[in-house]
Amino acid sequence: MNDKVKVVIVDDERLARDILKNYIREHDNVELIAECTNGFEGVKSINDLKPDLVFLDIQMPKITGFEMLELLETTPQIIFTTAYDQYALKAFEVNATDYLLKPFAYDRFDEALAKAIDKMADRGKSKEAIEKLVNHKDQSDEKLDRVVVKSGQKITVIPVEDLQYLEAQDDYVMLHTKQGNHLKQKTMKYFEEHLQANKFIRVHRSYIVNLNEIEELYLHEKETYRALLKCGDKIPVSKSGYSNLKEFLK
Amino acid sequence: MFNPYVSNRNVILIYGAVWILIGLIHFTILFNVLQIDFEYAVWDSVIYNFLFAVVGLSLWFPSRYITFENYSVSRVLLNHFAAALLVTGIWLFAGYLILIFAVKVDKTGYDFIINTLLVRFVTGLMFYVIITSLNYTLIYYTNFREQVVKESKLNSLVKEAELKSLKYQINPHFIFNSLNSISSLTISNPTKAQEMTIKLSSFLRGTLSRNDNQKVKLKEEIQNIKLYLDIEKIRFEDKFDLVENVSDECKETQVPSMILQPIFENAIKHGVYESIENVVINVDCKKENDYLRIIVTNDYDPESVPRKGEGIGLKNIQNRLQLIYNQDNLLTYKKENNKFIVTLYIPL
Repeated sequence: MNDKVKVVIVDDERLARDILKNYIREHDNVELIAECTNGFEGVKSINDLKPDLVFLDIQMPKITGFEMLELLETTPQIIFTTAYDQYALKAFEVNATDYLLKPFAYDRFDEALAKAIDKMADRGKSKEAIEKLVNHKDQSDEKLDRVVVKSGQKITVIPVEDLQYLEAQDDYVMLHTKQGNHLKQKTMKYFEEHLQANKFIRVHRSYIVNLNEIEELYLHEKETYRALLKCGDKIPVSKSGYSNLKEFLK
Repeated sequence: MFNPYVSNRNVILIYGAVWILIGLIHFTILFNVLQIDFEYAVWDSVIYNFLFAVVGLSLWFPSRYITFENYSVSRVLLNHFAAALLVTGIWLFAGYLILIFAVKVDKTGYDFIINTLLVRFVTGLMFYVIITSLNYTLIYYTNFREQVVKESKLNSLVKEAELKSLKYQINPHFIFNSLNSISSLTISNPTKAQEMTIKLSSFLRGTLSRNDNQKVKLKEEIQNIKLYLDIEKIRFEDKFDLVENVSDECKETQVPSMILQPIFENAIKHGVYESIENVVINVDCKKENDYLRIIVTNDYDPESVPRKGEGIGLKNIQNRLQLIYNQDNLLTYKKENNKFIVTLYIPL
């Protein structure tokens, strides 16, 4: 087995990748195994090649660096490289391996790389770090405007307006859209907090519904209701869900 | 606008008091100086002055609508001269009728009215002139005050817009990403690094030295945009092309400075940043009636999901155009066949 640190670069600008390549070349113990120019490529390469370390840009075509992280099956060390300090600071708070604010000096790159190699001694920690990193994004107050999902090799970006309803399924959430259903490894609580509260209502322990999709609300049994959706599906509405809904349907 | 004499209690009280005073002077002249019969002196002063007090209120309207802004000075004077003759004539005749038929003055009174007709006529004209002058003073004073308020409002709006556009004009990420590209080029291609540094400097200098109220030739505006696009082109390695269709005549037209910059920034941000395909940005400019029509078109990836902040730049331009030209329909945009099309009309 190769002892070298395997590195992947994900950045849409060639010049930005070049500078990283130049810096990496100075280190004999580091090997660049892939260069990706967007998030889709990044997901594929990282899942296929399982690198130890990823240099990741945040603003890229198709999906952002943060969204890309949600689709990874492995947990490499992540060093963000970005011109946006608002994201980088956020990443730093939660113990991402490091962040590099563009443009960065060779010394600064060295420092980040050393940190990553140190951390690699204990992979458990790094796994924890990336989970925290992803979860940290969860904790922000920012509302979602899109959700990225992956089934097999296909990555789909779903605008939140396209979500008809969400259904809890064990550790996953099933996202129902006109174009089909997608499983996402998140909690109902996460979606409840990150979808706009005046557009998406938690109507049941296992259901969140897009307000625009509700066609009709009818009494099912004593004190429990059902919602008929425009797509034809019927979903249960609990007592507390009904009182949540009533506020918006007035 | 309401008649300010009637709509304000204090004004109408003062107006009434002044007329009572004039009436008293009128009476004193008749009774004490000219030694006219007491009863007749009372009727004469009360009726004539009361009548003019009422007529005087309505004089507000000719003053309001015959303004120096709408008519030439000679027209205004002519109008008022005719109105003065008419009003005074009616006033004298009405007073005469009331005194003869309602109060039933005797022969002495009748003779007195006829003999003093000229004096009365001149007095009537004088009243007309005084009231009209007061009206104009009031109108111009009110307008002046409104103007001051409006101007200060406009000023604060301009200031606000300036601050806003300062915020939007220079996108810090653009600068940092460009600096990163330069940093990279210093290793791989120092000549290009130097070229980019100079372009970035020229662009920043051009942007910083302009202010919002200024107008520049379209030519200069396009020049600055080209600098911006050149820099982005180095960053994105010719991932886009600019197709320019602007006649020399249009290039000489004055446009508000930095009005196009945000449109191109949008085209880059939503067209080029979000796409992995090659993008064409089109700028087309034409004179149409009394407007300069500028159309900026860019390809965009229909699959890219719009992110927050879309349209802020365009809103900003809309606000500025409204502030400058007082028209809110000068900027429109639409998506059509995977193209984003912004149409801008600049009044010539």
